[in-house]
Amino acid sequence: MSFAFGAAVLSLLLAGVTYGFTRQNLLKQREAAAVSQSYTNAKILQSQLSQTDISTQQLLQDLTSLETPTGSRPVLRATDKNGTAQWAQVSTQFGEDAIPAAVRREVTAGRAAKMRYRLGGETELVIGLPLPSVKASYFEIVSLDEVQSTLDSLATVLLGAAAVSVLAGTALGAWLSRRILRPFTEVGLASEAIAGGHFSTRLDADDDPDLGVLVTSFNHMASALESRIDRDARFASDVSHELRSPLMTLAASMEVLESRRDDLPEGPLRSALDLMSADLQRFSQLVEDLLEISRYDAGAVRLELDEVRLPELVIQAVSSYSSTEVPVELDAELAGVVVRADKRRLVRVIANLLDNAAKYGGGATRVALRRVDDRVQIIVEDNGPGVPADERDLVFDRFSRGSGAGRRSAGSEGVGLGLALVAEHVALQGGRAWVEDRPDGESGARFVVELPVATP
Amino acid sequence: MTVEDDERIRTAVKLALEAEGWQVEEAAGGEEALESFEQRPSDVVLIDIMLPDIDGFEVCRAIRRNSDVPIVMVTARDDTHDVVAGLEAGADDYLTKPFAPKELSARIRALLRRVRPTEPGSAHLRFGDLEIIPDEGVVRRSGVEVHLTKTEFRLLVELASSPGRVFSREVLLERVWGYDYFGDGRLVDVHVRRLRTKVEHDAANPRHVVTVRGLGYKLQT
Repeated sequence: MSFAFGAAVLSLLLAGVTYGFTRQNLLKQREAAAVSQSYTNAKILQSQLSQTDISTQQLLQDLTSLETPTGSRPVLRATDKNGTAQWAQVSTQFGEDAIPAAVRREVTAGRAAKMRYRLGGETELVIGLPLPSVKASYFEIVSLDEVQSTLDSLATVLLGAAAVSVLAGTALGAWLSRRILRPFTEVGLASEAIAGGHFSTRLDADDDPDLGVLVTSFNHMASALESRIDRDARFASDVSHELRSPLMTLAASMEVLESRRDDLPEGPLRSALDLMSADLQRFSQLVEDLLEISRYDAGAVRLELDEVRLPELVIQAVSSYSSTEVPVELDAELAGVVVRADKRRLVRVIANLLDNAAKYGGGATRVALRRVDDRVQIIVEDNGPGVPADERDLVFDRFSRGSGAGRRSAGSEGVGLGLALVAEHVALQGGRAWVEDRPDGESGARFVVELPVATP
Repeated sequence: MTVEDDERIRTAVKLALEAEGWQVEEAAGGEEALESFEQRPSDVVLIDIMLPDIDGFEVCRAIRRNSDVPIVMVTARDDTHDVVAGLEAGADDYLTKPFAPKELSARIRALLRRVRPTEPGSAHLRFGDLEIIPDEGVVRRSGVEVHLTKTEFRLLVELASSPGRVFSREVLLERVWGYDYFGDGRLVDVHVRRLRTKVEHDAANPRHVVTVRGLGYKLQT
């Protein structure tokens, strides 16, 4: 658009300047020609007038014999013997009256004069020359209209050219801007793709050397990003392998020890074994959680999406992961409700919520599943102190145990990753998790996980 | 037999399994495992995927060429690629380190279980060109005997126990592998895939072992 505007301004300016110059030049030339012709004619007349007696017929004859290649119309004013002014003219239209008074005055006063003026809708140039030796004045009226019509057609041509160049400019601008912007559009799309997790996205090589630089550096950036993400993911996986091997040895050895636990006498040995066993489990869980989290950070999470029948899954998860009997309430509308989810991670979410309730809320008191429009909510309630309003977002942060950390009773060993994983798992499956007060006014927390229902 | 290059893990697992009452052979690498298996075939093979010489998948495929012995893969990563590759190489089940040897023990017991005794009258099942004789462990396709692993066979017989009924993956996991509800559905999917390449004429367009989307699998004539 700005291209079109620029082209318009530029071509109009050029046309205007050209027109102005040409007009000036043409008029000047025309005037110069007319003036020199006038002088020549004036000289001829002067010599003729000095030889002959002045009669109107004679004057007229003299005038018609003059050459007027410029198309000028000569007018002569001579004074006869009686001192009376005689006017002679070739064209009836251009006579004494056609000459502006100011010019007549000037010439009568003995000074040459020249004036451009309009007469009957046309531009005329009048040149007046005094012929003092024969007491006469010679005028020529030259029409500038011919010049004007030339100028008019010139103006038409110039305007046409300007219009053409505006159109061409617009077309060129549109083409150029599309051509120039295309790489940026592609860069934009590629960046979106990379941000969306398609790290192998690259731009196609461009022939244009100027754009080539952009393409190369963009692709270089994308490669650097990809290799870094790969490295992080590999690191997480290497760490996972390195940590899991000793844990494997520990777990297997611990089982051997535990199988002989009853052979040990009551006392410090047995207590030490129990402590080790409990903390080995906690350590394993911590390593698993950390690995899961690091997978998220490395962007290396691959969801195993499946159609999951939620009521069944919730009932199974609650019966397996809750140490106490917890009532599960199911909404009647839930029959046959299917969500597209990663089953393992969803089970982890429920297990972590139950675990959280056990550690900080004295155990879950109720688990409910209900449908809200096109979403399902999994609700876990406990009887504990609840979560203060200003900590409700913080509880989902990593290693955060809220102000309740000090209240931890012996044996409730949270590491503060459980709820962080809940939030990550749920977010990755297109849902969200939050905590609120129990709606029945009782003390306690109510954790809600909301997931979209799969469209059948 | 347990194939594992980390000596400490190998020893600890052996100790724990022996505490559970199993007899354990050890192999530190793929070559050693294949040699030892040839001389004295075990009842179950436990293979770590990361081995110094031949990788676990290859060991698994090599054993599978001559034997239908139950194989359990051990991975240090629960990434889909490893799990599915292991199962496609012929493993019957997999565990992720660190696992509890008790869990392994339960897995082994499930894999060694015999096919459930069939009700009288169902000793000879026919599904079109497919013929199943559960008590003899024989499957024939168009009269030609098809060789199935124990797990594939149990899966087929399970599906054949109620022809036309849809079995969810959870039910199959429980009945064939002895898992609770939280078993990995990929076990079923990969085994069904393997089964199809053996019993179907065209595994890509199965006629007998059919997927019922979102629900599970069924067997039909």
